[in-house]
Amino acid sequence: MKKQLAFYIDAKRCIGCFTCAMACKNQYHQESGVIWRDVYELKEEIYPHRERAFYSLACNHCENPTCLNVCPVVAYYKREADGVVVHEQDKCIGCGNCIRSCPYGAPRYNPVLKRAEKCSFCWQRLDDDRKPACVLSCPTEALQIVDLAEFDEANAVQYPAGFPRYPSLNPSVRFRLPAMPKMIRRKL
Amino acid sequence: MSQMEMPLVIFTVLSQTAVGLVAISAIRQHAADGPAGSVRPEWMTAVLLLIAGLVASLFHLGHPLGAPMAIKHLGNAWLSREALGIGVFTALVIVGFLSARGRVNAGLSFAAAAVGLIALFFTGMTYSPPGFPALNNVMPFVFFLLTAAMVGAGFASYFTPAEKMPMITRILAVSLIVGLVVYLVVPFLWLSGGTVMRQTGLNYIFSPLYWARIVVGLVVPLIAIWRMRTVPAWVPVLVLAGELIGRIAFFSLAVHASANMGGIY
Repeated sequence: MKKQLAFYIDAKRCIGCFTCAMACKNQYHQESGVIWRDVYELKEEIYPHRERAFYSLACNHCENPTCLNVCPVVAYYKREADGVVVHEQDKCIGCGNCIRSCPYGAPRYNPVLKRAEKCSFCWQRLDDDRKPACVLSCPTEALQIVDLAEFDEANAVQYPAGFPRYPSLNPSVRFRLPAMPKMIRRKL
Repeated sequence: MSQMEMPLVIFTVLSQTAVGLVAISAIRQHAADGPAGSVRPEWMTAVLLLIAGLVASLFHLGHPLGAPMAIKHLGNAWLSREALGIGVFTALVIVGFLSARGRVNAGLSFAAAAVGLIALFFTGMTYSPPGFPALNNVMPFVFFLLTAAMVGAGFASYFTPAEKMPMITRILAVSLIVGLVVYLVVPFLWLSGGTVMRQTGLNYIFSPLYWARIVVGLVVPLIAIWRMRTVPAWVPVLVLAGELIGRIAFFSLAVHASANMGGIY
């Protein structure tokens, strides 16, 4: 398998602090309402505890990216070297087709530039041997980068509950499930 | 529905009406005995519908001047194929209109109809993305085919001679009955899907838009045709209005897969 960078989301460590989302905002200063990375709380139907659990999600840089496939002006490309999916905004005509098509809601519409945009995996930082802003900022190391060609974590899952399953896209993301809280009951 | 999508409502409905109009014109002229009808005004109407639709489609682009670039990705993107298909269809309809002398050449008529139906298939594929589980299937193509049959047949009635009105009336009535069955059944089928598809079904069932579309665009026209045994002049307008309402529903009521992130799918 070729090198394919992926986000590893360790829900066992994530405390839902939104630092990753804020770091992304600080790095790129997106327009108001344009969000490249967001933190989603697991609903009670999946995680029915007083403790809460979270997934920090952005573009999944899929092996077969639907944004790239549906773009009529070829504004997306996938980097051979690391599998990162890059959006070239100057080519975008703002048709919104990628926004409708991506089931993970990664591409967003920039109402000022009237073009789509999405998480770039901070490829400029990667090329400079630096981590993406979101990964660098995470205080609990719940968000990490892995190379799926070498990744060998037995407990990692690709489609946990609360995350849409699209095998045809093969999203480059892996999760560690949140821990079940320890229940301590007093014996009567 | 975002403001961006109203131009798509107009573009899709008008272009599909033109496809239906041309296909029914080809059948009426060359596959049925008797007078052809007012073919030149009919094809001119198709040209005007297509031009209006194409102009409307530009307004959904953030950068309309980039529209010609939309055919760059024919290898993968259904939107590129749709742009090319509609472009070729428009060119054929313009040639048909300019060369019409009582009738449009049979080969040209059927070629235009075939290209129009292929373009309609491309449109169906464009609007069935993975992002909308309820629509990520054959249904958009079926909806668009029904639009072409219903509004196309309705508009064709304006250009049809009295001898062939029974044929057009039958085509429109059958299309409306099929449309009524499909539109009544599909939202209830969506209820048996996953969370997002089920929410789309519920959005439809509890939306006044959906029921307005059923009554205005399907039930009232069917009753009118059944009682009058022909197509009254106001019926095609009502069918078009119903399709426009239905298309607004199509673009505004479907739920995106990402809407339920963190919940059960």
